[in-house]
Amino acid sequence: MNCELREKVGLYVDGEMESAAQQAFAIHLQNCTECAATVMEQQELKKAVRLAGKRFHAPPELYAVVRKQIAPKPAIGHFWQWTTAAATFMLLFALAFIWYSRPAGSGVTVAELVDQHVTMLASANPVDVISSDMHTVKPWYQGKLPFTFTPPELAKDSPFTLLGGKLVYVHHAPGAELVYQVRQHKISVFIFQARDVRGEPSTGDQNFIVNGWQQNGLQFYMVTDAAKENTERLRALMEEANR
Amino acid sequence: MATTVIVRGDVSGLKNNDFEKLAVPLLDGLYNFACWLCGNPDEARDLVQETFLKALKGFGSFREGTNFRAWMFRILRNTFLTSKTGLERRNTTQQDEEGFEDSVVSIDTPELALVRRADTLLVQSAIASLSPVFKEVILLADIEEMKYQEIAEALDVPTGTVMSRLARARKQVREYIVNALGEKKVAGIRS
Repeated sequence: MNCELREKVGLYVDGEMESAAQQAFAIHLQNCTECAATVMEQQELKKAVRLAGKRFHAPPELYAVVRKQIAPKPAIGHFWQWTTAAATFMLLFALAFIWYSRPAGSGVTVAELVDQHVTMLASANPVDVISSDMHTVKPWYQGKLPFTFTPPELAKDSPFTLLGGKLVYVHHAPGAELVYQVRQHKISVFIFQARDVRGEPSTGDQNFIVNGWQQNGLQFYMVTDAAKENTERLRALMEEANR
Repeated sequence: MATTVIVRGDVSGLKNNDFEKLAVPLLDGLYNFACWLCGNPDEARDLVQETFLKALKGFGSFREGTNFRAWMFRILRNTFLTSKTGLERRNTTQQDEEGFEDSVVSIDTPELALVRRADTLLVQSAIASLSPVFKEVILLADIEEMKYQEIAEALDVPTGTVMSRLARARKQVREYIVNALGEKKVAGIRS
């Protein structure tokens, strides 16, 4: 009971024989009960393994995870890559330009400067350092401001009198407020660093003149209800002193 | 079972977009194979994910004439073998491989009856009892219905080795079933 073709059973069951050999073996099975029985058992075993072996099924979430991790990234052509890069660069450049060239600290308005001036006028202590001597007022700001400036040396016959100075803040930026008097009018001269506060405010309030200019990295503003020629004159003195 | 095989000539010009189309249909089979190898669904899940990532990465170097399904199973198997569990299994369950001749079943009609009586759980236990080298070959042949050549590519062994391992694996499964259902019954049927 040892058919010499019995070792071919596995090939036959697994469909690994050439077509002609397969047919020949099928004919052999009709005459060989030994091989026929072995084939049947192998087929039964194969079927049993197939049914039992298909035991685990991939859960839907695994499909989702795998699909996500292998999903093709949207292809972007070179043209669009360059276009996107150029557009991004231009946008950043424009934003930077807008940022650096924004007007007058964007919030230094006439109203704010006038408010500071009026507060000074209404205050019982309009200035923190009281002196008509610029050599007293100027050193007072040492250590209080991250910059320096020079008040003008006023001649004896000058219509202007220095009353003193105080520390002010506009938009978190520290600055100096020098207070001058011309006849019965007071003039506030605000001085900030131009990088913090800059730009020309609009020409004037209904009752006050607001004058602004930049010089040596500093931003000057002048607020007063004095006559315009007085502001022009004091401005000239300030500009001369800080040249 | 439907197979995903890329025949010669079909692979030229393949792009990553094609990968999903080719690989996802294999996911269920790969997961089943992974579960049998790992014996742990969580580990199998990680193994499948890693397989897909590796395959996607290597898809660019996929060569014409390569059997895609065999290639995927090969990646999974190699990934498993280098995993902690795979290394442990390899070190602890190496068994002798016998020749094809020894493993051919003898004519035993009563055993055929026992095989027919074997329920799913028993056959699953029989498969689980196999060492990895036999388990993987019988899974690929009988569940994935791969041809010997395809299995040889997946396992990176000669076709002759596939044949001998498969015969040996089937013999062990049959013996497991027979032993479980009782030698006495077999003897009784024989007498």
